[in-house]
Amino acid sequence: MTAPRRGNLVTLALLAPSLLSAILLLAIPILIVIAFSFAEQDTYGGAKFGFTLTSYRELFQAIYLPIFLNSLQLAVVSTVICLLVGYPIAYFIALRAGRYAGLLLALLLIPFWIDFIVRMSAWMVLLGRNGTINSALVGLGVIEQPIRMIGTYPAVLVGMLYAFLPTTVLPIYAALSGLDGRLLEAADDLGATPLQSFWRITFPLSLPGVMAAILFVFVPAMGVYAIPVLLGGGKSIILGNLIVQLFLDFRNIPLGAAVSVVLLAISSVIIVCYMRVLRSVEEARV
Amino acid sequence: MRKMLALYVPAATLLGYVFLFAPLLVLVIYAFNGGRSTVVWEGFSLAWFAEALVDRGLRAGLQVSVIVAIASAVLATAIGTSAALAVVKRPFAGKNLFSTLVIAPLVLPEIVLAVGLLVATVWTGVPLGYGTLIAGHVLVSIPFSFLIVRAAASGLDPRLDEAAADLGANGRQIFVRVTLPLLLPAILSAFLLCAVISFDNFVVSTFVSGVGSTPLPIQIYAMLKTGLTPKINALGAMLIAVNVLVILVVMGRYLKTIRKPS
Repeated sequence: MTAPRRGNLVTLALLAPSLLSAILLLAIPILIVIAFSFAEQDTYGGAKFGFTLTSYRELFQAIYLPIFLNSLQLAVVSTVICLLVGYPIAYFIALRAGRYAGLLLALLLIPFWIDFIVRMSAWMVLLGRNGTINSALVGLGVIEQPIRMIGTYPAVLVGMLYAFLPTTVLPIYAALSGLDGRLLEAADDLGATPLQSFWRITFPLSLPGVMAAILFVFVPAMGVYAIPVLLGGGKSIILGNLIVQLFLDFRNIPLGAAVSVVLLAISSVIIVCYMRVLRSVEEARV
Repeated sequence: MRKMLALYVPAATLLGYVFLFAPLLVLVIYAFNGGRSTVVWEGFSLAWFAEALVDRGLRAGLQVSVIVAIASAVLATAIGTSAALAVVKRPFAGKNLFSTLVIAPLVLPEIVLAVGLLVATVWTGVPLGYGTLIAGHVLVSIPFSFLIVRAAASGLDPRLDEAAADLGANGRQIFVRVTLPLLLPAILSAFLLCAVISFDNFVVSTFVSGVGSTPLPIQIYAMLKTGLTPKINALGAMLIAVNVLVILVVMGRYLKTIRKPS
């Protein structure tokens, strides 16, 4: 066997496992989901392949519209809150923390890796009717009766912020830590106020990180479901709950598949937009 | 105004870290509380740890989670490592497309991936169980092992390979004697992180675990929906301890490799 052919075989052997798993576990399953979304539900709760738009027609009826809007609203509000809280933290670690930056980053990673369900149960301890916060407030005489916190929309938002804050900080930190400090010194020398140099230099240069943060919060937030059930009492139905209910409770595979396809389409649009904007930002900088 | 701004950033950071750690701290502290309360301190006790450890459902869940975590981490690390080696060391067409495909599960909504796996089992008639759980966890873990090993491999000096080749080593010898030992710390980190990702996984597990193969997070979720018990706090405290340990091991290696002057 000649050397280049042997080299090609090695390359192929290295590529094969990941290609195989991407095809078997990702591409084919998604194609099956798309096929099922056009299938008909048979009388036994199974699905019969065919081409019908029944599921999509059902989906675009008025009862499902609020679910889409709820999800969209939750994702937008969560993303905005994560950015407002996460940006100053990333800024501090990248530009002010000095030799403590490594430590702060490591600390940030701890909650990121802790079991998701454990993190949510921690918030249930804090927010419960007889939870830590209520009891502390009653004990201090701030309030007379415990406030209902769990099962409310703000509790869901707190859970979302808790789940996605590290994911927000990391990409913004990465963008800010590459910032050339001399730019800020130059702005200072030229008489810019700190606020001016922030808006004219730091913030624009951190935009790729901000966009990555938006991508990493908004897309999963559109499909989230455990947080609203545990902290929000599952009262407002969102796409994630709807998909889980349709598949695991109602066994309505075609409709569940159609909801998943719509969610996938929304996410793909966001991902493509992100890649386009990122490219144009990079080109503008060159 | 200027002073307020100068204070705002550190203050926001401090509050952010309090927000991140206070809930975990409260959870761990009350895991040691003797009473059922999560507010009133009723004396130090390890009773809830004992209760958590003898709970049949939690034990079964733990067993499933450990088996699935080890199996899926071995597979995901092997697959991610070979993909990373291909991207860094071998020339081939469509490299960017290939990388995008490997990282895709990280960017797509996890619930869509989970639905895909469930529907695929319905279509093919594969029964839900350990196999489907492991396959699902492999899918969501591969991007992490790929990214970690790719970063380490692209940092290797290519002259090492050349030197080994000059000294008469063939491709296999270069790989076994030079590349693999240098990448071993990264591969081990990737394995540990993949195991943690699998152990913590919730969304994919919800869809593809079968009767008798319910992993721990799903078991805890079912218990949480009916109400919080101190048993779950104790279990949570133990899981936090394990996760922190893994992070320290991984970060320790990472920090060591950074400190070494290159």
